[in-house]
Amino acid sequence: MKHGAITILPLAAGAAIYGFAFGLLAAQVGFPWWGVALMSGLVHAGSSQIVAVEQFSGSSAAVGAALAGAALNLRYIGIVASLSDVLSRLPLRQKLLAIHITGDENWALTMAERAKNPDIGAQFLIGSGLVMIIVWTSSTMLGAVVGAALPNLEQFGLGFAFTAAFIAMARGLWRGLSNFGPWLASFTVTIAAVLLGMPKAYAIVVGVACSLAASYVARNNRKQEK
Amino acid sequence: MTLSFWMLIAVLAITAFSIRVLGLIAGDAIRSSRYSWVLDDLPGLIIVSLVASSLAGQSIGGWVAATAALFVAYLTNHVILTMCIGVAVFSGLGWAGF
Repeated sequence: MKHGAITILPLAAGAAIYGFAFGLLAAQVGFPWWGVALMSGLVHAGSSQIVAVEQFSGSSAAVGAALAGAALNLRYIGIVASLSDVLSRLPLRQKLLAIHITGDENWALTMAERAKNPDIGAQFLIGSGLVMIIVWTSSTMLGAVVGAALPNLEQFGLGFAFTAAFIAMARGLWRGLSNFGPWLASFTVTIAAVLLGMPKAYAIVVGVACSLAASYVARNNRKQEK
Repeated sequence: MTLSFWMLIAVLAITAFSIRVLGLIAGDAIRSSRYSWVLDDLPGLIIVSLVASSLAGQSIGGWVAATAALFVAYLTNHVILTMCIGVAVFSGLGWAGF
């Protein structure tokens, strides 16, 4: 658990930047600092929270805004499904805790580290997830309190940290040329979907679905060749 | 906080967690089916898609920084080093006006 908690720290620093920004946004809509912290702790889904709060008018639109935000989280069906083996030996209560504290960053880091070392598993995921949810909750709360006084940290290029980290994690999961076709499909379909105006979270779902279809076709072709 | 604020938090929390539970159930079902390969392929495909969504619409500097990060990742297979060099190249190019 400690290994995961330490390894995730640089990524947690990146998440804190978005946390500050979200906290500021939520405070401007009218959320008190403790309400922001409560939401971050209970929801723990950055992009969903941002979209829900952006669409929230403070009136009767609450349910619609929340559903719009939650829909952006559909990729977590695939993310959590891929953890099936990692979580298989945990009791249900710990499984539920683990999936709640799973985010893009600690999930991707766990899978990339597990590809290098099969001993990496649920404890790494939970340790890194606990750090991420603590950092996310506290940074959003701080953003609500003092966000306006902070400089724009994006100008230092820190917003690119996740992109670079995900590239490295993809490298860790690369298993050879058999990945090339499906990965290329995932990359190009996602980019095309975003460029066509689709919200990024939906574009990810579309890109992954299309690349899974490509992977299925490639596997069938390989079977037929044998 | 008014009732709508509480509603937003409650509905968002319930739906976000339900989606994760759905993933847990789906994962267990897929793992014991003939489609278990999906669980092996999903992590790489989702991460590549996350990278693509970040790069879509990026400036030339963003793409150059991503290429540099890919080069470092290929050579070192090290997450933190790749992240540091990617951010350094991205911010350096940003300051240079790219």
